[in-house]
Amino acid sequence: MHGQQILQTAEDLFKMFINFFYKLKNADIPVSPTSFLAFQKALSQGHINTLNDLYTCSRTILIKSERYFDLFDQIFAHHFEGAEMPDLEGVELEEMARALLDEWLKNPKLLAQALGMDESEINKLTPEELLEYFKERLKEQTERHDGGSKWIGTGGTSPVGHSGYHPGGMRVGGVSRNKSAVKVAMERRYKDYSLRGPLTQAMVGEALKRLRNMVPAGPKDQVDIDESIYHTMKNCGEIEIIFKRSLRDRLKVLILIDNGGWSMDPYISVVQTIFNYASAQFKELKTYFFHNTIYSNIWEDPSRIHRPQRVDEMVRFDPHTRIIIVGDASMAPYELSATDGSIYVHQRSGKPSIEHLKFIARVFPHVAWLNPIPENMWGYTHSISVIREIFQMYELSIDGLEKTIAHLMSK
Amino acid sequence: MAENSDRNFSGATRYILDDELAKIVNISMALEMPLLLKGEPGTGKTMLAHAIAEDLNMPLIVLNVKSSMKLVEALYQYDTLTRLNDSRFGDSTRNVSNIEEYIKMGKIGQAFSAEKRTILLIDEIDKAETDFQDDMLDVLDQMEFDIIEIDKTVPTKVRPVIIITSNAKKDLSDPFLGRCNFHHIAFPDPKMMRKIVDVHFPDIDTKLMDNAVSAFYRLREVDAIEKKPATRELINWIRALRADPDFKPKDLTKGDVPYLGVLFKKSQDYARATNITNRRRLI
Repeated sequence: MHGQQILQTAEDLFKMFINFFYKLKNADIPVSPTSFLAFQKALSQGHINTLNDLYTCSRTILIKSERYFDLFDQIFAHHFEGAEMPDLEGVELEEMARALLDEWLKNPKLLAQALGMDESEINKLTPEELLEYFKERLKEQTERHDGGSKWIGTGGTSPVGHSGYHPGGMRVGGVSRNKSAVKVAMERRYKDYSLRGPLTQAMVGEALKRLRNMVPAGPKDQVDIDESIYHTMKNCGEIEIIFKRSLRDRLKVLILIDNGGWSMDPYISVVQTIFNYASAQFKELKTYFFHNTIYSNIWEDPSRIHRPQRVDEMVRFDPHTRIIIVGDASMAPYELSATDGSIYVHQRSGKPSIEHLKFIARVFPHVAWLNPIPENMWGYTHSISVIREIFQMYELSIDGLEKTIAHLMSK
Repeated sequence: MAENSDRNFSGATRYILDDELAKIVNISMALEMPLLLKGEPGTGKTMLAHAIAEDLNMPLIVLNVKSSMKLVEALYQYDTLTRLNDSRFGDSTRNVSNIEEYIKMGKIGQAFSAEKRTILLIDEIDKAETDFQDDMLDVLDQMEFDIIEIDKTVPTKVRPVIIITSNAKKDLSDPFLGRCNFHHIAFPDPKMMRKIVDVHFPDIDTKLMDNAVSAFYRLREVDAIEKKPATRELINWIRALRADPDFKPKDLTKGDVPYLGVLFKKSQDYARATNITNRRRLI
């Protein structure tokens, strides 16, 4: 739909929405036929009278996460660019859409009857087939129908009050929308929330907040029903109430960061963000630093001089500790596998780094490696493939972070 | 929809609404779908439900979701302890053998059994386990639930307007999202914020308003702040500034920012903010 195309028939209009729906779907936005039908219902009930309405309503009904708002904005702007909603006299999609869809949404059985189909037949259709079928029905109905009621663009009859003062003295404030919906969409206000966008603090926080592990802790202040019943019975019915500890979040997390070398420089600030957010989150959060890969020591101080922690002593840590390693895992092969692989002389310990990594993987069942290098480039670096065999590796993106959390929280 | 088609939501006295959000609320009410609101704390997610209730003059029922909550608690409670107590001491007027006398409606139960259309605010749904969300989906879909103990079904008398808020601690399940309309409330921009402040302090001095709001946004931009000050903090801060007879709006431009503790609640954040305001001028 480009340019000032005048839409003549209901069919054209309908096609426009179907196309829009498929454009969203093809852009990997999870839109479901159910929500598309809900959107059609909104159309048929006359809630959508302007392009602004269309923008707001289609987004609120079809899109279920702010991460897709940006993509939606782009597709919306592209699809409806320059296409102001035409004044369509005599388009009567409303009637049939309402009749068909209301029944559809409320009662599939009734609809099945109305269409002369078996409910199980309807259930067998894939969402795509279902939509196709629905479209066909609508077309048929368009041809048959001869009523005349207005639909989009009739203007002014919206039941949706969105401006002005209410007699009760309420006020509508906010941004007055003189711009067209397409222009608003083109502003890309939700860029920061996009999946493909850069990692922002809010998103990292959102992902990390899912790292939780509830264990009993604190004072015994919750009634343990089962135990109470058991002890009461044992007491011949003399009530005895047993208390237990409530559940608290007691997860220990270690973050190991590769902060040496220019190769990690661009990512340090992103990783810093992760710290800031993570710090308040857990019972215990410790950060250690290393360069390129892990030898016999990791360090508590970023300069990697003053406070070393011996890797083999980590065996004393709680084995349920979640470990997140952040690094590009890119280095010369010998750094990993040679007995004295470290590029620092004082770190040469007699054991190749790969043994230390395997040791960590053995002691701690929950380890994940976050790599800032895009996943499709991993195959080109030997050391990445080697490390991937030891740890689960994920890309340092919102997607990867979520997978990391899922991996760390799995039993 | 039928009985409320003439009532639409346009904003309440203490709540500033942009017309996009108003439209979203109205369409959700018309389609009878729950509205899921996401957004960072302080963007007025919870306030919105209060505002709708006030505006449309409907009773508001708030369900504050807790992490350990089971759905049945939100529906009804069978008060076994009271019953046990009554059966042992027998000094109440309740009939111990009638279980129904010990059933108390939870928040969702209250909304379903109310005679009048209510606003049901399910606050911070993401705190609860996924089970809770999935079970709730069934109840919201069918608009009825069973009380197992007395084998009775509670149907909905009037379908409530359902507002659900989430701080995005956990992802909500896809089927859950499928049944909701969705909106993400962005943090208000300075222009919007001035309007919000104006609602709370209609007689505010323009100078104070301009300086306070721009200082507020500068402070929000300070790096590595764990909990950024939100609308609530700004309102309280302005209240504090106004209460201080020695304070002059000009002070803010000189980099003298009093009562930072009202804006920053975490000691690290407070230290950072103090440090920054001392080092450079804000405006």
